[in-house]
Amino acid sequence: MQTGQELNEDEEMTDAPDNIVQGDLQDQRIAGYQSPLGVTRTHTVTLRGVQTQSGFTFDQVQVSYQTLGTLSARRDNAILVCHALSGTAHMAGLHPDTGRPGWWDFHVGPGKTIDTDRFFVVCSNVLGGCDGTTGPLSPRPQSGKPFGMDFPPVTIRDMVAVQAKLIEHLGISRLFAVIGGSMGGMQALCWAVHFPERVRLCLPIATCISHNAMQIAFNEIGRRAILTDPDWKGGNYAPDRPPKHGLAVARMVGHVTYLSEYSMTHKFGRALQPPVNSAAAEAAVFTIQSYLHHQGESFVNRFDANSYLYLTNALDQFDFFDGAPPEEVLRRVKARFLVVSFASDWLYPPPQSRELVRWLKRCRVAATYINLETLYGHDSFLIENPEFARVVRHYLEHEHRKAGFQEAGAVI
Amino acid sequence: MLDLGTGDGAFLERLVQAKGVLAEGVERNPRLVARCIQRGLVAHQGDIAEGLDQYGDQTFDYVLLLGTFQELISPVETVREAFRVGRRLIIAYTNFAHYLVRLQILFRGRTPVTQSLPELWFRTTNLHFLSTLDFREFCRQMGVSANRRACFNSRGEVAVLPNLFAEEVVTLLESARPQPTGTDASGDISS
Repeated sequence: MQTGQELNEDEEMTDAPDNIVQGDLQDQRIAGYQSPLGVTRTHTVTLRGVQTQSGFTFDQVQVSYQTLGTLSARRDNAILVCHALSGTAHMAGLHPDTGRPGWWDFHVGPGKTIDTDRFFVVCSNVLGGCDGTTGPLSPRPQSGKPFGMDFPPVTIRDMVAVQAKLIEHLGISRLFAVIGGSMGGMQALCWAVHFPERVRLCLPIATCISHNAMQIAFNEIGRRAILTDPDWKGGNYAPDRPPKHGLAVARMVGHVTYLSEYSMTHKFGRALQPPVNSAAAEAAVFTIQSYLHHQGESFVNRFDANSYLYLTNALDQFDFFDGAPPEEVLRRVKARFLVVSFASDWLYPPPQSRELVRWLKRCRVAATYINLETLYGHDSFLIENPEFARVVRHYLEHEHRKAGFQEAGAVI
Repeated sequence: MLDLGTGDGAFLERLVQAKGVLAEGVERNPRLVARCIQRGLVAHQGDIAEGLDQYGDQTFDYVLLLGTFQELISPVETVREAFRVGRRLIIAYTNFAHYLVRLQILFRGRTPVTQSLPELWFRTTNLHFLSTLDFREFCRQMGVSANRRACFNSRGEVAVLPNLFAEEVVTLLESARPQPTGTDASGDISS
């Protein structure tokens, strides 16, 4: 720390811009969007001998992952980014096929929240996902047919176990930080408890130690929509005929829970969709309706319905303490924490983060907690969010400097 | 060390740097918490009025209430909580019985505005106004002993008649109960 360090005045908190992009960046078509990273690729690695918590053993697991930045000679600048329910390995930069930005392009890149000039940033698709990592869509070793509902149950801890193997494969023995929002936050928590020696900093964002009844209820609506779609066929649907309608409805419900009353009013209000033809004019629709339809449809094109079932189950089943006394679980933790919640997040409301912080502090884990006033609901961590960006960037920078591998002369 | 109402963390940062203490701050305003994070401090966004539930019993050696004490909705509750989570408490407050304050009320008939009470009555964030004698009574009723005290005005430390000449008072409080000697709470205070 520098004595008498002056705080930069132009770093004054400002509200996010009015034309803020809502929802996953990867579902948007943003005219003229530029990523400083340009086109970025994902890689795939085959990891052997993965056993799930339920006792199933995969002889081999494919993991799709992306790395950005450069691993330092001492291999001590690696940050693992854990994605949320609908995320992918492609966290930042433009996708080589679709040209769309990665889901966290706002926050990962040179000079951004997670600075790729400074850190080696890794993101992998979770076990049970559908973006290149082994999941229900993957072929069975014997028959070559998709696992479907025969895929073993997946837990957050299983996802983390696979990530740990990937990190090992990349030659990293200790992560500088693990960061993630929502389901990604649960993974970050799991890392701190199950691999205490391998995590220096843990940054759970807009997450909780276990789902409450409301969170399970919303997931159940989504699952029910998929299960009752005639095309679902017990999970054995043809790849070209997935349960589109069910999955779209699941996404619509989910998407609403990620927004806030403010963000919906601000962006849509009661605006009407311009009529496409005269028949449509009679049945005028609100813009929010067509927006949700679009969200549902675009999701169907990139997500697998069975994966949605498996991952939402993993979310609902997650219990940070797994029924053990919290003191016992947290005694193992070595990481320092930055916990972030958003005041407008009604899906993972701030009291859930406060409950986490309360346990951490009561067990003497160094934890900083901030509840940001961002108005955009649960999605606040995905959007361009200067307040969030500043807090995370400053935290990482400070800890980085403290860790003693800041380049000489660099000042925030 | 726990600093309640730590603001932008400027003071806590100096304390950490000068004394090398392990410290953490509680602050209600997220923008100020963000400043604390920028300074590399361990900070917790929370409202002191809602208690310090996140901390276990006797976690801290010292709890600081500097410039926050008069803004507390319930000083009784907060001091009680502070003694639950910490062993000693350092409180700073502005003496409302300073002679200039007295004179302003007497001769102007208005709510005083002084160097240490710079805000007009409708702008001040202070909810409570007290003198050193009031504070002594507060300590007595709370069952805590004010073992050390320093009084200041703009010229420096005040040695005589602090209730008349002190503008700012900093007091170190210890819970009377765990004290083996059982010192009378008001014993060490002279006004």
